[in-house]
Amino acid sequence: MSDRPLTLPLALLLGLVTVVTLFPVFWILMTAIKPPTDWNAVPAIWVPSEPTLVNFQTLFDPEALGVYGVGGVSEAATQAVFGSLLASIVATALSVGIGLAAAIALSRYSGGGRATPLIILSGRMFPPAAIAVPFVIIFSTIGLIDTYFGLIAIYIAVTLPFSTWMLKSFVDEVPKEVEEAAMLDGLTRVRAHLTVTIPLIKGGLFATTLFIFILNWSEFLFALVLSYTTIETIPVRLAKYVTATAGTLYGVQAALAVLAMVPLVIAGFLIQNHLARGMTFGAVKR
Amino acid sequence: MTMRTDTLPEAMTVSADEEPVSQRKGTRRKTLGKALLLPGQLISVFVLVVPLLVAFYMSFTDWSPTRGALTSARFIGLFNYEELLVYDTRFVEAVLRTLVFAAICLSLEFLIGLGLAVLFLRKFRGKAILFSMLLTPMMVLPVVVGYTFWMLFQSNGPINQLIELAFGAGASPDWFKSALLAQITVIVTEVWHWTPLFFLILLSGLNAVPENPIRAAVILGASPRQVFWRVVLPMLLPVIVIAFVIRAMEIIKLFDEVFMLTRGGPGSSTETISLYIYKLAFNDFQLAYGAAAAFLVLIGTLGLVHLLLTPVRNQLLEARN
Repeated sequence: MSDRPLTLPLALLLGLVTVVTLFPVFWILMTAIKPPTDWNAVPAIWVPSEPTLVNFQTLFDPEALGVYGVGGVSEAATQAVFGSLLASIVATALSVGIGLAAAIALSRYSGGGRATPLIILSGRMFPPAAIAVPFVIIFSTIGLIDTYFGLIAIYIAVTLPFSTWMLKSFVDEVPKEVEEAAMLDGLTRVRAHLTVTIPLIKGGLFATTLFIFILNWSEFLFALVLSYTTIETIPVRLAKYVTATAGTLYGVQAALAVLAMVPLVIAGFLIQNHLARGMTFGAVKR
Repeated sequence: MTMRTDTLPEAMTVSADEEPVSQRKGTRRKTLGKALLLPGQLISVFVLVVPLLVAFYMSFTDWSPTRGALTSARFIGLFNYEELLVYDTRFVEAVLRTLVFAAICLSLEFLIGLGLAVLFLRKFRGKAILFSMLLTPMMVLPVVVGYTFWMLFQSNGPINQLIELAFGAGASPDWFKSALLAQITVIVTEVWHWTPLFFLILLSGLNAVPENPIRAAVILGASPRQVFWRVVLPMLLPVIVIAFVIRAMEIIKLFDEVFMLTRGGPGSSTETISLYIYKLAFNDFQLAYGAAAAFLVLIGTLGLVHLLLTPVRNQLLEARN
């Protein structure tokens, strides 16, 4: 639109915004590698002089802080990491699979009527805190509370609108003629979708998978209310650390926060060009 | 224009005609379409619709877990709703507070996001890497964002350190002890987290604005400012509305960041709707009452989204047909 160069004041402004944008991430990374002596220092220490990985070690071995004469966390985060991986991976795979089927149906057969999208969207508008209420009641009645099965079922249902609409926007970009040509060659409809449509949207499928993974990995509230003893995810564990050790174990808390953040930042950068599409249910494309 | 209104969820547009299924293609095709939709519909029905119906029924009862099975709950009609709207000032305040937060945050996110997007139309080196850097916040999970800002705003944290550096020792406040300051921390956190989404969506929209109307306006003697306000912005309107709708739907549910930052405190000065419902249901076990609050919120959100879509509804419809 305009190819004017950046003037100096504007460049400085942009620089300032970038610094403000990156500072919180920098701070959490630095805190995660601070030894216990630096956690609560006054004035605050920005860059630790003796960086250490002991905080990360403590997440899996609560006694690791002993070498500094500091009592560790009461519980390791091992189970939370396992739970986050299990719930996110399984729920993502199923959400994308089911979403892909629905996307092809909506794009090619436009079945299901108009009510389906409306139901899906109002599902997004309903505060999770409120959906969680009946979930807890129903799940405790049928014994699904505090089970990964229950958590995964919710994750699939909650992310399904995103996977469906994002994938539909990719399927829409494949011309129908390609499938019709394949069917003239004797392929059935289903085989045409499997061997022609799906390979053509490989990139979109990859982007959608990572996007749904981001949503599942970030989820907090459902995991919080559905977990008692068996299931746990990283966000829930982080909240517990903060409550139990507020103001004391900054380094360990930050290490867990970094552990939670790193996979998402990587995934986010990989699908950077598709984020707008995912966030807007496929309405905005790049 | 890359904004493809034809793929908008139908609910966002109005009365989009369904594609007529031609007769000769037979029932097998229809069956396949239905079969492909079935798993998604089943899981939505069992995991979203059924619980919502249960919650809807519950909202007319006085049920709580201490009173035994849901089936034995006493039907009390609209009592919960009346209580919420007329007598529960904490609920009404939470609603108003969430709306004020939403208005302030979305305005700031929109203005900063638009400013950044316009800057990105200029030519400069390192644009690609800067673009990635500016998107970072939206890739961080909400719980971690809340936790990070909780640390930043600690009384001996880096923000207070900078304040003391600028205004002298003793100038730094205790952010989480004052209602107004705690509210500011919530707004700062939210704006930091989601401005990149506005930036991203608006930049997509700006890049998709066609060149010809702009050239025409320039030839006709329009100043750059006039071009922006009279030509570019109107064409950007649908994208702006989509950004606002998506963000409004999310911020009304604001929970994770506030839970980590302030837990709604001090007092209830940063309590959002979601936080209040959470406390009602899981701290006080007033599940039926919480369900009624949730339905009021749902109705309100539907109304709000409807209102937000009004200015572009005709445009979206035209683009579809």
